Order: sequence, then C-alpha cells, then structure tokens
Amino acid sequence: MNRVAMFVALLLLLASAFPASGVAADQSCEQCLGGAPDAPIKIEVFSDFQCPACRELYMDTMKLVLRDYCSLDKVCVIYHEFPLQGHPYSREAARYSLAAQKLGRLQWTAVLDSLYANQAVWSDKGTVQATVAKALSPEDFQKVLKLIQDPSINGTIARDIALGQKRDVQSTPTFFITTLGREQKVVGGLPYNVLKEFFDRIVK
Amino acid sequence: MAVALRILHWACRIVLAGIFLYSGYFKLQSPLQFAAAIAGYKLVPNSFIMPLADYLPWVEIALGALLLSGWKIRYVSIGAAGLLLAFIAILTVTYIRGIDADCGCFGFGDKISPRTIARDVLILLPAVFLAAEERLKNSATNYTNRTK
Repeated sequence: MNRVAMFVALLLLLASAFPASGVAADQSCEQCLGGAPDAPIKIEVFSDFQCPACRELYMDTMKLVLRDYCSLDKVCVIYHEFPLQGHPYSREAARYSLAAQKLGRLQWTAVLDSLYANQAVWSDKGTVQATVAKALSPEDFQKVLKLIQDPSINGTIARDIALGQKRDVQSTPTFFITTLGREQKVVGGLPYNVLKEFFDRIVK
Repeated sequence: MAVALRILHWACRIVLAGIFLYSGYFKLQSPLQFAAAIAGYKLVPNSFIMPLADYLPWVEIALGALLLSGWKIRYVSIGAAGLLLAFIAILTVTYIRGIDADCGCFGFGDKISPRTIARDVLILLPAVFLAAEERLKNSATNYTNRTK
C-alpha cells in the first residue's frame, strides 16, 4: 500500500513540475505570412532559403497550413529570415523576400513559392533575381528592385537572426508553436498530418 | 554477497528510474518536437505519431516512478527491459535503413548512430539485472548449499 502511495505521490509531483506555459512569443506580426495576428495558434518559423529541409517544411507543410488554417484565421504563420553562413545565396534570397513582403502578402507568397520551388536551380547558379522576376508582375518586380536597396531590409535580417539566437535557434528549420499560453520549439520538419491532428484538438 | 547484491539492486533501480523519469520529462516538454523525432524514423503511420508522442513519455515516467517505489519490481523491470529492447530494435532498423533521424531519446539533436544504440544497450543491463535478480539469488543460494 505504501508503495502504491509513493508511486502516486511521485506521479503527482512530476505532473506539477511541468510548466503550464513557456516563453511568451513575440506579438508583433509584420512578418505574418497568413492568418490573423490574434489567431489561437501562432507558428514562428526560422527558415533559410537554401536549406532543403526548409523547402520541404514550406512546400509540404506550411503551404497546407496556410490553405487550411490561416485562411480561416485559426493559425497565424510568421516567417523569420535565418540565412546560414554556409549558404552563399540565402541572404540575397532573404532580401528579395523581405522586399516582396513590403508589397503585400500575395506578392510575398508568390516570391516564397518561387524561391522554394526552384531552390535547386538558383542555389546552383545563383540566379535569385531571375527566380524572383518570374514570380512577380513586371511592375511589382521593379518595385522590389527599388525596395531591396532600402537599408532597413538588412536591419530586419539582422534582427531576425538576433531573435533566433536569443531563442536558441541553432539550425533551420526551427519553429515555435504558441497556443493556450504554451510555447513548443520544434527543430526540423513535421508532416502536415501530424500538425493537423495537433491543431484540430485546439481549433476544430 | 547479500550486501553487494542489495547495493547493486538499489543502484540499478535508481539509475534506471532516473533515466526513465528524465527521458519522459524531457519529451513532455515538447510533444511536437518528440512527434517530429518519431516522424523522422519513417516507421510509424502518421495517424499514430501524435498519440505516441502524447502517451509514451507518460509510460516512461510511470516506469520510472514504479521502479523507485519498488512495487512489483520484477514485472516492472521486465516491462522496462521490453520497452528498451523495442527502442534498440527501432534504432537499429532505422540506422541500417540509412535514415538520418534524430534519436529523440534524451533531448533533441542527437542523431541515431552506433553510439546511441550502444547507450540503450547499456541502459538495458540494469533492467535485465532487476528482472533476473530473483533467479540469480536462487542460483547463488543453490550453489552455496551445494558447496557446503
């Protein structure tokens, strides 16, 4: 009997040791790719344009999250630039992405789609600008070419990197899911179906 | 002999319980990260990944707590050994398949390698000792009686 009581006491002690909430996420939403900033679930992705796992996460998971959850304002997806040292064209791609972001979500999504879908091509030849040009109308592309000269774009990338380092991001993709006052860090990819099952428990 | 066995018994229980409690606690901190690790093994259907990520840490914590409490220690040790054998089999199969997956055993970012497999085999030893302790004791007693 004493042993059973000890077992139960240990379980209760452990259960009480789990924090109900994690680190509060950054509430600003200027890099919100989809969904309302006050959505019940927030995903913050730290991504590198030349990283194949980031491509997989965007193409196979996040695009479906944008379609199925962000469009209904159940999930808010925020993308942070985290270009890695060993990827020579990542920073350039990040600059184009941030310039397109200033034009609006549609243009930004088009650039993200194009950069990730054609990653193998431009990563090999360094044709980032041509890849972005294909994704936008000529007028929008001209605007992007002007916006990319803005020094604040480099500042945003530096801020994103600093934010990632502060949150112990060591590799890409790394994403943080904040819901019900709790934050979970995930390093690497996650199949859409698994994420969907998790979301449906909260916002079905 | 009896004192040495008792010390070994407690050492095995405490070490094994500590490992299970730590492992379960760590996984409970981020079920989604553990789910990502399970998904990385490419062994389990997607529909089983979240339930596994939710319940497996609690199984580990329950085993750890039971090992500490000493209740039905032989059966709990057999359960622990069974779970560890399953882990070793899964790690080995994944490594042989050449999948570059995160172990997800004690924290994250630890890739499956011969080292992670050997570590689990080492952890299996105290579980096997606790499960077979009674038999060892009986054999030792029989041997002592025979040699008297």
